[in-house]
Amino acid sequence: MARDTAGGTGTESTRTGVGARLAAVRALLSPRTEAERERRRVAVMSLPYFVLAIFGAFLPLGMLARMSLSENQFRNEGFSLDAWETLATEPVYREIAWNTLWFATVTTTFSVLVAVALSHALAKYDLPFRRWIVAMVSFPIALPGIVVGFMIVVLLGRTGLLTNAVAFFTGGSRIDLATALTVGGLFLGYAFSLIPRATMVLRGTFEEINTDAEEAARALGASPLLTFYHVTLPQVWPGVVAAFVLTFRTALAIFGTVLVLPALNVATLRINLEIQDLGFNLAVASAMGLVYFVFIFGFTFAGVRLIDNESLKI
Amino acid sequence: MAEVTLDSITKRYREETAVEGIDLTVRDGEVLGVIGPSGCGKTTLLRTIAGFETPTEGRVRFDGEDVTHVPPENRNVGLVFQSYSLFDNMSVRRNVAFGLKMQGVGRSKRRARADELLALLGIEDQAEKSPQQLSGGQQQRVGLARALAIEPRILLLDEPMTGLDAKLKRRLETEIGSLLDELGVTGLYVTHDQEEAMVMCDRLAVLDDGQIQQVGTPAEIYERPETGFVADFVGTSNSLSATVRNGEIDLGFTTYDGNGLPETTDGTVIVRPEDVSVGDGDVEAVVRDRFYLGERVRARVELPDGTGLTVDLDPSTDGAAVGDTVQVAFETEGLHVIT
Repeated sequence: MARDTAGGTGTESTRTGVGARLAAVRALLSPRTEAERERRRVAVMSLPYFVLAIFGAFLPLGMLARMSLSENQFRNEGFSLDAWETLATEPVYREIAWNTLWFATVTTTFSVLVAVALSHALAKYDLPFRRWIVAMVSFPIALPGIVVGFMIVVLLGRTGLLTNAVAFFTGGSRIDLATALTVGGLFLGYAFSLIPRATMVLRGTFEEINTDAEEAARALGASPLLTFYHVTLPQVWPGVVAAFVLTFRTALAIFGTVLVLPALNVATLRINLEIQDLGFNLAVASAMGLVYFVFIFGFTFAGVRLIDNESLKI
Repeated sequence: MAEVTLDSITKRYREETAVEGIDLTVRDGEVLGVIGPSGCGKTTLLRTIAGFETPTEGRVRFDGEDVTHVPPENRNVGLVFQSYSLFDNMSVRRNVAFGLKMQGVGRSKRRARADELLALLGIEDQAEKSPQQLSGGQQQRVGLARALAIEPRILLLDEPMTGLDAKLKRRLETEIGSLLDELGVTGLYVTHDQEEAMVMCDRLAVLDDGQIQQVGTPAEIYERPETGFVADFVGTSNSLSATVRNGEIDLGFTTYDGNGLPETTDGTVIVRPEDVSVGDGDVEAVVRDRFYLGERVRARVELPDGTGLTVDLDPSTDGAAVGDTVQVAFETEGLHVIT
């Protein structure tokens, strides 16, 4: 008896659910209230994104997943976990993961710190040549990574400007002094690309700061440094986290610069290597691409959660 | 608390002069109101005392000590803002205790002092809350408690009541005014609201276009304005062209006893609406407009020479309608000449 009633209720609720969904579709197609019209506007505006997401992200990701499980390294054929096993067991991939993560973390941290100082100065002080400074800081965003890498070579390569200058003043060997192809050179290339991105995010945050609260703190006896720590930083913290998330993702994705300055074996370089130089190894490249995607997605999600967390305080 | 003196303060921003040649003293224990229209330099003056602006010329002294180049954190001034500017990442108690923490006061003493001030301002039950959970009036009390906690040499209040609803504003004016009196705080109160300033302050400085027009008690400013601007800015006033000769004021359409006013051939007589009696008198005027304001009826009448005059009608007895002719007379003691 009880089961019959439950079944009846379930069917009824399913019908109600279907009915409600149909009503929602009808409201979307011919809205009658302002709230329904608003929902339709949102749906229309979101449509291009979803179309792009399906064909530009979800389908290719599905293909990557399939390719990573293929027996044949050139075609999607059969089922094999070989590529995943290779990723999990070959020491070189652990080294790549480690290199990718530590280098992205260090360059991101450095870039965000520089961007915090820069954004603070741009927002707080009436700097001379402000527009020039902003232009100088933001233009590297438009430069391709390969060009950035080349600029580092021009500056720090064996015939680089700085190398020549240092060699001239110290009498040292240009070959010994060239640092373009070292981790230091790569670090500079990354920072060149990352600082503008971090600054772009942080400038908006710093413009929103309640300067009266900062002045209140100063009047209460806090030095500029203590004011920054107690009053400014808590206000900009969500922006700093957002800048870190965005910049870290960018650091993981840098390819052109590391292609020109291959001082460190990182994920993007290795994926290229798998496809181009190591015998068109699509299965392993796909598996790496998927790991990369899952990590970035998880990292972004965690970052967004952190920014939304209202209890986040320093 | 301290006596704060501004000696010939001038502040220029590139081409623009914000304040010029300001000489002003805030006496120990008094609250001085600085009033004037927007952009007249009130806030620049306050920020100069706080140390956030360095004057282009002149000196700032606290009890005679030159603090012109002392940074804000070393001046020991309390600041209360219109926007409250509380630290949202701290509880109400931590906000109040912040200045003491910066002074190196121990945790238990900080807490005791913060609780004492919160109780004094009637918000002790809000101590654990975030400032964002408080109403505007409560937030402003926290701002005041925070500024008072460090026992500042001078308390600087920058339009602290702006943004509060009228009823709360009137209540806070009385409460805070009494509290500042009780504590003997030296304060500089910047506002564009003259009524608020009159309630809160012992003396007023009227500022216009970066220059002080008059300094005096609220009664002096209201009853004996020294310039047309002061007369016009503080309260409602009527300006009439006049000559004062041989102890007689000639308004053109009538004459009055000069009552000891200085002689002038080209002066302006200032008369407040409450010093014009309507219903009897020897001057005829036509009612051109009238406004019911509850406690009184304010009317705009036209004098025989075409001059407009603002007057108050008694709401219980007035029968004057727009277009009616009424008799008006000026209270001789209310006439004030600006030469």
